[in-house]
Amino acid sequence: MTLAIRTESLTKHYGEVKALIDLSLEVRMGEVFGFLGPNGSGKTTMIRTVLDLIRPTEGRAEILGMDTHEEAVEIRNHIGYVPGDLAMYPNLTGRDTLTYFANLRGGVDWSYVDELAERLSVDLDVKVGNYSSGNRQKVGIIQAFMNRPQVLVMDEPSTGLDPLVQREFQKMMREVAADGRCVFLSSHTLSEVQRVADRVGIIRHGRLVDVESVHDLRSKAIRRVELFFDTDIDASIFEAVAGVREAKANQTSIVLSFDGHMDQLLKTATDHYHLVDITSQEADLEEIFLTYYRDED
Amino acid sequence: MLANIFTKTTRDRFFGLSAAAVSVAVMFLGGMAVYSQIDVSFYYEMPQALLDLMGIPVGGDVAGLAFGAIYGLIGAMTLAGIAISMGSGAIAGEERQGTLGLLLGNPQSRTQVVVSKAASMVMLLGLASLFLWGAGLWVPSLLDVDMTGIHVGALVFHIFVNSLFYGFLALAIGAWTGNGTVASGTAVAVMLVSYLAAGILPLVESLENLAKIFPWYYFNASVPVINGVDWSHMAILGGLAIALFSLAIVGFNRRDIRGRNTGVTILDRLRANPRTAKIVERIAGSARVSRISIKTASEHQGLLVVCVMIMFYLGLMIGPLWAILPESFQDVISQYPDVLLGMIGAADLSTPEGYLQAEVFSLMGPATFVALAALMASRAIAGEEQSRTMGLLMANPLRRSTIIIEKTLSMIAYSVILGVATFFGVWFGNLLGGIDIPISNLVATTALLTLLGLVFGSVAMLLGAATGKTRVAAYGAIGVTLAAYFAFSFLPLAESLADYAKWSPFHFYLGSDPLTNGMAWGDAAVLAGIFISLIALSIPLFQRRDLRG
Repeated sequence: MTLAIRTESLTKHYGEVKALIDLSLEVRMGEVFGFLGPNGSGKTTMIRTVLDLIRPTEGRAEILGMDTHEEAVEIRNHIGYVPGDLAMYPNLTGRDTLTYFANLRGGVDWSYVDELAERLSVDLDVKVGNYSSGNRQKVGIIQAFMNRPQVLVMDEPSTGLDPLVQREFQKMMREVAADGRCVFLSSHTLSEVQRVADRVGIIRHGRLVDVESVHDLRSKAIRRVELFFDTDIDASIFEAVAGVREAKANQTSIVLSFDGHMDQLLKTATDHYHLVDITSQEADLEEIFLTYYRDED
Repeated sequence: MLANIFTKTTRDRFFGLSAAAVSVAVMFLGGMAVYSQIDVSFYYEMPQALLDLMGIPVGGDVAGLAFGAIYGLIGAMTLAGIAISMGSGAIAGEERQGTLGLLLGNPQSRTQVVVSKAASMVMLLGLASLFLWGAGLWVPSLLDVDMTGIHVGALVFHIFVNSLFYGFLALAIGAWTGNGTVASGTAVAVMLVSYLAAGILPLVESLENLAKIFPWYYFNASVPVINGVDWSHMAILGGLAIALFSLAIVGFNRRDIRGRNTGVTILDRLRANPRTAKIVERIAGSARVSRISIKTASEHQGLLVVCVMIMFYLGLMIGPLWAILPESFQDVISQYPDVLLGMIGAADLSTPEGYLQAEVFSLMGPATFVALAALMASRAIAGEEQSRTMGLLMANPLRRSTIIIEKTLSMIAYSVILGVATFFGVWFGNLLGGIDIPISNLVATTALLTLLGLVFGSVAMLLGAATGKTRVAAYGAIGVTLAAYFAFSFLPLAESLADYAKWSPFHFYLGSDPLTNGMAWGDAAVLAGIFISLIALSIPLFQRRDLRG
């Protein structure tokens, strides 16, 4: 089967700065592939390299089995792209912008464009310069989706979208995958990737650290759990629970870094004390990196 | 340097202003060096009115000539131009970038912002003036030029106050409208019109007093380099500047701040109106995004309109002026020595051909055509990169060469339109003024001028494609143009260097005297060849490079 994207030892140096180091990756058709990494980790460099906007120092890449440099023009017939930090022509309306790109591609199905605009709820007859950043982002997304490309490459596309629109956008990405096409989604938000992606590649300091299924990643997801009691507590009781990586007690409350089973934690808590309240939130990406990938730097 | 608004503004503007001041000083050094080597006695014979127009004071000898031409004209316009850029950028510029809201989010009143920006502008212009004063004293002593009766300080003071006036004019318009383009465009127009009016109106006796309503009159009419500071004129200019400054504060305090919004144009209104929507849509809506070249053209409509108006009206005006100029004027001009004539394209001013060449085709023509082509070309590749739209554009199935070719096509189309407008302007002007030059010669000259503009446009294209930086492209092309112009006009003054002038593209434009001799097909082929080669060369440079944005 043809791969959507394949890179072989892709390397990009800017003088002394190593933006990408020996990155080899395979992205399949029919999947949403999350490309996860903190800011400045090399996500955008990787995307710009496979799109032939910048050239690798070493290594090569293919999209749909075609060399990204030699067959760049043919490849672009089959891809849609949302750049990170999206900018468009401020004096054109949304519709003008889409018309322009449609003309450069030799036409588009306008009923589909209107359908996309309705799903993302954006008025296309406003000038790009007058859009809020969220609405500008929506036009960028429509621009990438409108030709029903085989491979969608999107660099942090959810920036500025409100939660309702984000959900609709995630549905659109899932539909692309269900259609046998591919979405390559770069993001620094773990929760977004978890919701929509099938597999996740994790990049840090220009290196691909790991590729795994979202299911496996979720099991690694550390949570920050805070428990409140009506009496002073002993932290050592909680440190003994499987999955507690760090425990910090503060008289009647305790903050835990936790990746074990929640029922065990709750059982321990209620067995020993009277539990008053509990908050639980996802740890941020950097915390996961620190926990799991510390040694690979 | 980021301590407050004043220091940040100063830091942002310091480099540009220093570069401009140094350039003026270097030009002054070069100009004075040339003047001190040649016999300048001829200029005593020139009519007073013409000297006024050229900014050259009577009784100043070599020093007066150099100060008049370089400081009084180029220096004053450069400093005023920079003041306009600073003034229009002060409020409206921050507004356009969307940073003004951020700035006002800090505990700074609007008045404080205007005052800080204005203070920075005044200080920088003051520093530049001090520098020019120093250079104006140092260069003559270096070249051993007689400075008797020359008031450098007075001239520089006039230049300083003059620049303040235009800076505050732009600041006030920007503060009231929030539109930087309107602010700088209006201020530049006021400057150019008032310069021309202050120079030309006194030539006609009955209109002499009319010149006094134009601000440039108060800058130079008193000839400060000979007569010292004219305090009443300075009080008028300075008072106007202060009044404009107060207006800026009032205007800025009483209006809504614009976000990053784009303005509503007449076209937008017509498009929103159901009655006109259909036809406007056809002309301006979907049509202007039908392909890269047409979209590029639509982006530069404003620039084209300005260039066309300048060349058309210049051409139209110059013909009748020839008819009303006094006979004596032409007699005197016919006795000009070659050295002076070299500077205006070796034109013989006693003939209509020479007169036209000097007034339209030697300086203003190339400046306008190069401005159009070089600005379009510097925006072509580097502009898309700088506004970060290149990635989006390149996500479409296009070759990089296609983008260069499309953008070049729009540059060619606009240059040709400007050429046609120039031809008609000059032709109508000739009809009105009774100047009898064969139409074919006019066509040939405007065609060569169009090619000349495209040559320097292709320099900008090459630099933009190679670097992705609009500044490098624009300044590089302007630098090459100036070097080529100086090579063509100044090198022939020295016999040993005269041959090198033939390497300048200007030589292939005016060297054959096309207004008199008609088309020089060989020269046209050389210009076209340079143009095509540079465009062809920019393609591989663009293809090899990592793109920005």
